[in-house]
Amino acid sequence: MDAAVNLRPLRIALIGVPNCGKTALFNRLTGSRQKVANYPGVTVERREGERAAADGRTQQVLDLPGTYSLKPTTLDEAITRDVLLGRVAGAPAPELVVCVVDAVHLPIGLRLALEVKSLGLPMVLALNRMDVAKRRNVKIDVARLSAELGVPVLPTIAVRRGGADALIEALEPVHWLQHRSIAAPAWSEPSADDAEQRQRDLRGVLEAVGYRAPAENQWFERLDAVLLNPFSGLLILIAVLFVMFQAVFSWAVAPMDLIKEGMAVFGAWTAAHLPEGQVASLLVNGVIGGAGAVLVFLPQIVILFLFILALEDSGYLPRAAYLLDRLMGGVGLSGRAFIPLLSSFACAIPGIMAARTIPSWRDRLTTIMIAPLMTCSARLPVYTLLIGALIPAKSIGVFNLQGVVMFVLYVAGIVAAVAVAYVLKHFSGARSYSPLMLELPDYQWPHLGNLLLGLWERVKIFLSRVGGIILALMIVLWFLSSYPAPPPDATGPAIQYSFAGSLGQLLEYVFAPIGFNWQISIALVPGLAAREVAVSALGTVYSMSAAGNDVSGQLSPVIASTWSLATACSLLAWYVFAPQCLSTLAVVKRETNSWRYPIIMAAYLFALAYVASFITYRAVAAWA
Amino acid sequence: MKSPGSSNAVPLVLAELRRGEAGVVDGLAPIGLGTTTEERDSMLARLRDLGFIPGARCEVIARMWFGGDPIAVRVGGSTFALRRVEAAAVHITRALPLAAGATA
Repeated sequence: MDAAVNLRPLRIALIGVPNCGKTALFNRLTGSRQKVANYPGVTVERREGERAAADGRTQQVLDLPGTYSLKPTTLDEAITRDVLLGRVAGAPAPELVVCVVDAVHLPIGLRLALEVKSLGLPMVLALNRMDVAKRRNVKIDVARLSAELGVPVLPTIAVRRGGADALIEALEPVHWLQHRSIAAPAWSEPSADDAEQRQRDLRGVLEAVGYRAPAENQWFERLDAVLLNPFSGLLILIAVLFVMFQAVFSWAVAPMDLIKEGMAVFGAWTAAHLPEGQVASLLVNGVIGGAGAVLVFLPQIVILFLFILALEDSGYLPRAAYLLDRLMGGVGLSGRAFIPLLSSFACAIPGIMAARTIPSWRDRLTTIMIAPLMTCSARLPVYTLLIGALIPAKSIGVFNLQGVVMFVLYVAGIVAAVAVAYVLKHFSGARSYSPLMLELPDYQWPHLGNLLLGLWERVKIFLSRVGGIILALMIVLWFLSSYPAPPPDATGPAIQYSFAGSLGQLLEYVFAPIGFNWQISIALVPGLAAREVAVSALGTVYSMSAAGNDVSGQLSPVIASTWSLATACSLLAWYVFAPQCLSTLAVVKRETNSWRYPIIMAAYLFALAYVASFITYRAVAAWA
Repeated sequence: MKSPGSSNAVPLVLAELRRGEAGVVDGLAPIGLGTTTEERDSMLARLRDLGFIPGARCEVIARMWFGGDPIAVRVGGSTFALRRVEAAAVHITRALPLAAGATA
């Protein structure tokens, strides 16, 4: 065998049905040496990592998307099959396949293993969750299984430290050198007879190794009886969502304030240490302001994803999708859309990215299109400013008027989202059926190590991709707002004379019918970077000094005395719909691989915003 | 022509089982799923892959409103959520609920 071939890292791929513990095993093999990218041309996650064999040589480990069969029903599954067959550009066929099978649910995993084995690739079987199998009285003759399959079978307990040692030993390069070949495996679609033969083979193997279905777990049965019951199940789901919301919004307040303080201090320090001028302005307002706009939402993202990952690991999420499937299906959404939409209440960007888990393209697109209508936390500074300035703090019965208005804004977003989903469902072409057929996995305690790794991954993605876009946009908009500089005898705020100012003054004609004055019109231009930027942009337009971090407090009395209630309500309505967040549009472009959808999204959202603002402005002006 | 005493019943499908009831799978039949033959075949193949094969025991552990849309059914040691139309493609013979499972 060619010496050079032996020096290349061994390419290992993990394959298995969903919920078999494959990702936990992947984490145990690669630790934090993993990266997530995309397969070329598609938004399917490519999760790759590295590990070192005992002799120090590197091995590449690829965690393939979970699949029930090599005959795919979703894009994810098609990628898994294509990678195994070496058909994916840039992802050569693996040299060793580790088929991960859940010992407790042996039949379904073994069926896939038999399919994979027929490809002829070198293979080992990792028989996972042996500890749980033992507790559920599932006995498997491991030696016999190995003999029947003709491949090494290694028992593993992926969630336990040292639980993958047998597998790690089996991955030692010395076992596989002579098997390295360059011939691609072949696969053809199985006929009905092939499928039946495979079922017979499967039954034979299961008999031979002595597999019996697991003893029922009383706790699981009781949990399911409550959590899957339509009434108690939905009530508990609502309670869980409520707790999540409370956690995301109230627990995050302290760390968010800390970050805001920190950025303000850093900005002030920078301004103090640099000569006054454009560079200082760029750094303080553009870069630090931009980074601050991203970082401030980090606590919310972390808390939100901690909850979501824990719920996912525990096995609860598919049950929530089960409860919601019909309700969401009625408005043209997949039951699996509820996590992306839920995430969008913190920030639509991770929400839109989470829509990748929706197998049907049309359902996924619908979810992406309505995600920005979920009231994201970036809107809150705008809402808080306007409600605080212009809505009187009266009480109506037991309710605080300001709180009621806030609640109405949230509900308006949800109602709009449902309406848009309904319209999309009924007015777009041929509809193919996308199946549910969702596995409800065993319950388990979330594993902290996996949670933290998953969280770290999400945070990295948010910071690098979103941060990159927002930072770039903030700098561009800073430029547009600062140049050309005002002439020496200028009387108004500097921004009026810049490109942004000129644009805003043009926009004033467009916005006059909905009650926006020129200050708002100008502020909406830099306000395109991110929703919360509107507050500091208004501050700039009203020539507030940016020294304090309480622009809102300084703005409030100015707005209260110069704006009409109708204008404020109109701007609130605008913010329910308008895509004042170019980063969201940029992510939509990435996730849909095309310019068409972000353009459609921007168009329909601006249109809705204009109409809503118009109606609100006229109605409030007439009534107030 | 039916001889006296022979059954002319409509085959029982999984979608009609109530919570706690069990059956043994006889086979699959396509029922208005999907818009193309390819889609229908693909879905039936997937049902088979999940374990709904002749001879497999299945038990309904939960049903949602609207006539069981979806239902949660246990088969081959795993549990799946199926919509009504999907469960209607699985033909079964009624069986008694057992305490312990059988070989998959």
